[in-house]
Amino acid sequence: MSKARLLIVDDELIMRESLAGWLLRDGHEVKTAASGEEALDKIKETRFDILLVDIKMEGISGLEVLETVKESDPDVAVVMITAYGSIQTAIEAIKKGAYDYLLKPFDPHELGVLIEKILENQAQARENLFLREQFKETTRFESLIGQSRVMQEVFELIQNVAPVNTTVLITGETGTGKGLAAKAVHTHSPRCQGPFVVVNCGAIPENLMESELFGYQKGAFTDAKTTKKGRLEMAHGGTLFLDEIGEIGMRMQIDLLRVLEDRIFYRVGGTQPIEADFRVIAATNRNLQEAITNGIFREDLYYRLNVVSFKMPSLRERKEDIPLLADHFLHRFSQETNKQIDRINRDAMDEMMLYDWPGNVRELENAIERSVVIAKKRIIIPQDLPIFRPDAICTPSANTIEEIEKTHINRMLADNEWNISATAKVLGVDRSTLYSKIKRYNINKP
Amino acid sequence: MKIDCEYKIIISPIGNIDAEIIGSVEKDITGIFGFQTILLPLIEDISFALDSGRNQHNSTSILGKLESCAPDYALKVLAITNVDLFIPILTHVYGEAQLGGKTCIVSTYRLKDFTSTMRAGISLSARMVKEAIHELGHTFNLLHCKDHSCIMHYCRTENDVDRKSDQLCRYCKILLEDDIKKLSS
Repeated sequence: MSKARLLIVDDELIMRESLAGWLLRDGHEVKTAASGEEALDKIKETRFDILLVDIKMEGISGLEVLETVKESDPDVAVVMITAYGSIQTAIEAIKKGAYDYLLKPFDPHELGVLIEKILENQAQARENLFLREQFKETTRFESLIGQSRVMQEVFELIQNVAPVNTTVLITGETGTGKGLAAKAVHTHSPRCQGPFVVVNCGAIPENLMESELFGYQKGAFTDAKTTKKGRLEMAHGGTLFLDEIGEIGMRMQIDLLRVLEDRIFYRVGGTQPIEADFRVIAATNRNLQEAITNGIFREDLYYRLNVVSFKMPSLRERKEDIPLLADHFLHRFSQETNKQIDRINRDAMDEMMLYDWPGNVRELENAIERSVVIAKKRIIIPQDLPIFRPDAICTPSANTIEEIEKTHINRMLADNEWNISATAKVLGVDRSTLYSKIKRYNINKP
Repeated sequence: MKIDCEYKIIISPIGNIDAEIIGSVEKDITGIFGFQTILLPLIEDISFALDSGRNQHNSTSILGKLESCAPDYALKVLAITNVDLFIPILTHVYGEAQLGGKTCIVSTYRLKDFTSTMRAGISLSARMVKEAIHELGHTFNLLHCKDHSCIMHYCRTENDVDRKSDQLCRYCKILLEDDIKKLSS
């Protein structure tokens, strides 16, 4: 059974003590309150998973405790404790949101089963909440693919880093698979049964980041109609992946540093400290040391994140993986589009090998997807790869990577008449990344 | 495990307890905890703990009384009784222990039922040994263990008691050793 935080609320000392003593033997963290008033005070200080509340108490009754708790935190399971005479009140409590009720004295087996069931349901609810959020983002996780030496080194590094519960910083250009690497670290870690929660720091506007990460309390701001859990809370027991960490604002950097130091935070508008146990993996395509020098990234946060770090190689550095990756994507998109495409012909493959792929694997993936859609025969030919016009092939020896990237982005923007969504799709990046690159390279609309 | 001769675990029968049960419990306690045992009835009359309304004995009250009677050389006290035990919030208990404390108690009352057992050759003595070690384990700060075969696994039914082994799992063994080391330091 997993361990939980429980609060026993009963005005009879002997009942509180006997129940607390029993539950402590299961290893739960148990607190007691002798009245409804004391219970409400304790709830303000600590977040409990389960409340066991006696219905009949002097002052604030068990039902009032239930109502107040449910209003501020609907996820807390409240079990009412009652005597034979007050079953009707217990049923009323169920209607008001109590999880269940127990008749005093209760069978020890019944109590054990109930606690176990509540904890299982709560774990399931956390997982479901995350999956729903994840589905909304339509995040796609594929396994990392590569037979090149550099990728084999990455696989070995992931195997070594994964079991150690340390913070990991993954660097690398856009589209190199930093997210997949983070997921692989999670999958091979002892936290693999827990959630893998992604926060795309570049895609969430600064003013929404705080509520997105920390959640918010009902009434914290005009639109806060209900209490909402943040990503940190959702990541409890699992891994929090902070993608594009280099894009995070200075204020949020301060908040994040504090959370990473003690793993305690407050929901927006909340007064109750929340503890969450999660591993942090961060990723960025930025040069963070340069960002520190430029005063846009905190050095202390950098060192907190950069406990273990590795770089995802660009596709240029592992061109031998292109046929393998291309075949993989071809197979997948053939199935998805229900088109019978058997292979990529030699000329098309040669061109792909010559190209420098500034958008890396994601750009290759998009190119294959488009070629599968366009292809008229069962074999992909160069004409099916619209990005391969002679002027699109770069000559890396004459330029820096940044220059190649800037030129390529400029060209793609022009081709797509500065439609940001369309250009981002062609480049295999999201819109926020494209915006930040336009800003960084000072590309202006003609 | 190293036996510390200064401290003893007292086995305190309350009422007429089968000699076979006492003998088996004594043997296994020394084997698992490494301390010698002494058979010493500390209290005989437990009427003070009887709840006439429930017709059961309050195990928490008995533990309090045992603690006050225990001699200085007693590291732990295990009481064995035949009466039906309860704690106020629950209908009944097989036994009770002071977590990390000195005393614990275990009763034959609920373990005598063999009607639902799924195994042959199960004796009351074997069940009592498991529950006695389990309760003593709590006095050494051991919590319930999720390993179904570990003696510290919490049993919901007599069948669960029969199914678990009479040994600690490797994790609980280490935790016990840690607690005993703390005692000696």
